[in-house]
Amino acid sequence: MCDQCGCQANTARGRKVLDINKSLLEENQKLGEENRRHIQEMGAVGINIISSPGAGKTTLLEATADAAAGHFSFGVIEGDIETERDAERIRKKGIPAVQITTGGACHLDAHLVHGGIHQIQDTAGPEGLDIIFIENVGNLVCPATFYLGEHQRIVMVSVPEGSDKPAKYPRAFIGSDLFIISKADLLPYFDFSMEEASEEAKRLNPDIKILTVSAVTGEGMEHWLSYLSGLLNR
Amino acid sequence: MHEVSLVQGLMEQVRNIARNNRASEIIRIKVLIGPFSGVVIDSFEFAFDALKQDDALFRQCMLEIQAPGPVFQCRKCGAKTAGQGRQANTVDQPGSAVFSWLSHETACPECGEKALTPSGGDEILLMQVEME
Repeated sequence: MCDQCGCQANTARGRKVLDINKSLLEENQKLGEENRRHIQEMGAVGINIISSPGAGKTTLLEATADAAAGHFSFGVIEGDIETERDAERIRKKGIPAVQITTGGACHLDAHLVHGGIHQIQDTAGPEGLDIIFIENVGNLVCPATFYLGEHQRIVMVSVPEGSDKPAKYPRAFIGSDLFIISKADLLPYFDFSMEEASEEAKRLNPDIKILTVSAVTGEGMEHWLSYLSGLLNR
Repeated sequence: MHEVSLVQGLMEQVRNIARNNRASEIIRIKVLIGPFSGVVIDSFEFAFDALKQDDALFRQCMLEIQAPGPVFQCRKCGAKTAGQGRQANTVDQPGSAVFSWLSHETACPECGEKALTPSGGDEILLMQVEME
């Protein structure tokens, strides 16, 4: 930069200083907006689910398949580092599912999901889908940074993981619309403080809604279903 | 380690800028990383140092990171407050800005309510490129 006035003029021979002020995520953001439009054109709502591995994302979706029958239809884009196993579990429930394997990457990005949306559209059949779930790679850190084009973002923590997760992984909670506490049937056996988890999540994000569910006992499933139905009626 | 993906994106963006400006060497890149961006600055620097070796355009490039402190906003009166001191996002103190705030809840200096919540700070920006 020029020492005299701070202008953008070149100083040293051929040297150039350019102010950019652009997000590193700009490209991802643009692709995400395209994904969102694509999902809307399909008449669907996109939901991005983020949690650590084993929190119960796939299990909740399996239980949702049983509970949603006759109410609404959905498809699932599964993100994993390896294997087709989660998509197979979902398909066994009669739900269209496509698997994205990242081959090592710790998160889904808008580009990967773009391909997934086309595939799920082809798989879904003529009646289309009401909801497209995007089950992110199991990881509470990295997926939180990448917008995929979703209308709603859900962060999920299971009871055995502990109630300090909002404080330890704030970014995932700051950016989410709903906080699901899963495996509620295990509450009697673990030192999980509902108060700590919900109070800290609310301080990070006053607008976040909180749901407690158990896919095993069915606890909270009616609230989960009415949350999903509420998204459709908008 | 999504920092690797972010650095790859950064380099792609800078490559385009270099092409448009007919530059053959990038001398310095300035990046701003917000306190609530979820990016670990040490990992970001590590990824940059590793990846720059693969591309002659970047081999001599300095990475300069601006890391502004956290800002909180009061939900009652709307006043904004600079968060306490130290910068988060290093390996030694991951997320410390948020964590220390959660552990010792401070009241809003304007109205006294304990209703502070993180404000902005999730940005990851390419600020400036110096090249020749």
